[in-house]
Amino acid sequence: MSVSRETAYAAPSLQRGSMTPVPHRVTSVEHETRETVTLTLEPVADRVPAPMAGQFTMLWAWGAGEVPISVSALADDGVLVHTIRDVAGVTKTLCASRPGDVLGVRGPYGRGWGVDAARGRDLVLVAGGIGLAPLRPVVHTVLEHRGDFGRVLLVVGARTEQELLFRGELDGWWHSRDIEVRTIVDRASPGWAGSVGVVTNELASTDLDPSSTYAMVCGPEVMMRVVAQHLTDRDVAPTSIEVSLERNMQCAVKTCGHCQVGPYFACTDGPVLTWDVVDPLLTVREL
Amino acid sequence: MVVTTMAEELADHRFFRLIPSALRERLAGCAKNVVFAPDDRICVEGTHASGFFAIRSGRVNVGIYVPHQGLQVLETRHAGDVIGFSWMFPPYRWQIDAVASERVHAIELHADCLLPYLEEHPADGYLLVRMFAQEMEETIQSTRLRLLDVYGRDHVRLP
Repeated sequence: MSVSRETAYAAPSLQRGSMTPVPHRVTSVEHETRETVTLTLEPVADRVPAPMAGQFTMLWAWGAGEVPISVSALADDGVLVHTIRDVAGVTKTLCASRPGDVLGVRGPYGRGWGVDAARGRDLVLVAGGIGLAPLRPVVHTVLEHRGDFGRVLLVVGARTEQELLFRGELDGWWHSRDIEVRTIVDRASPGWAGSVGVVTNELASTDLDPSSTYAMVCGPEVMMRVVAQHLTDRDVAPTSIEVSLERNMQCAVKTCGHCQVGPYFACTDGPVLTWDVVDPLLTVREL
Repeated sequence: MVVTTMAEELADHRFFRLIPSALRERLAGCAKNVVFAPDDRICVEGTHASGFFAIRSGRVNVGIYVPHQGLQVLETRHAGDVIGFSWMFPPYRWQIDAVASERVHAIELHADCLLPYLEEHPADGYLLVRMFAQEMEETIQSTRLRLLDVYGRDHVRLP
């Protein structure tokens, strides 16, 4: 007997607990770069609670497995938006999704960005590679409530121009001048008009008011460490710097222990944590 | 109209901000303001390195020309940065190309004026060399980070 994907996911709702994936249908697939896609999902029947910026869900691909993926936009009516990089395994299957496919969703989980803590202050957003995806909802929120924030600087780093996410939106943000957008790549291709180097090069050339600055940093751990150190060297308080930890997560509910970082679990205490918490942990090499 | 002296302009620049004012006055005597239009070549590999440039505004692409491929940009320097280490060491030839990527205002400091003074005043020479060493360290560290290829797949924690 063949079982359709939708039927297989649609387990009796009475048995559904927080660990049971909720079926969602892929309604659009947008190819952002060669190996990154943005999926828009709509609930097949039941919906999960609306996520907040910086939170993640566990996305389940039928027959492949489950991975944590940050939300890359906030939407109404139970719609979920996720940007996924194909790094083999489950993510390869997720990135190969087509409109009409059904995926399982658990969540949303974790502690998101402290957008409210940043209100009334200058905001520095630093994103590297796929790290722009979890920060994109923050940019959307800032643009919707622009008057609530002081100066807003977005620095985006990528390997190459071709690997920059959300190019159309980045251009729109840059042209709108509502926020300051700077892009920097590791390797320039002919005609590249942005900068070449690392994200801290862009920060170094920017005047900051440390007492007013609130920073959100998302990207590879090495990049986040360097950026946070740069900001603290410039007297930005560690409690005013947030980073989003990327860790192997299996359960997302503080049970499996895969994402444990010292006394914290990235899935529930994070993934967003302030630098005063993270700094002493990231220097422990065994963690 | 506000008229500023070269020493005051140096004091406004990140690189010179922390040096003693007496040395800044001395350096000002070796300095002049320069402006480059977009695509102007500021340094040309293999030619005489006659000094260094402190960028006041604008961006400069630093790289190496590759035959049939043009300038391969290796890094972008911004306001507050300095360009040029080759003026300090024989054979005093630029090892890099530097091209203005937009309108650039900079302060040019001349080696013919600086080097004899620094040789005669080793304390000042040591201070300036330390400042350049710090710039070099930051450049090296930035290069190291890029060699790590932190945005590459090797740095993704697979589930």
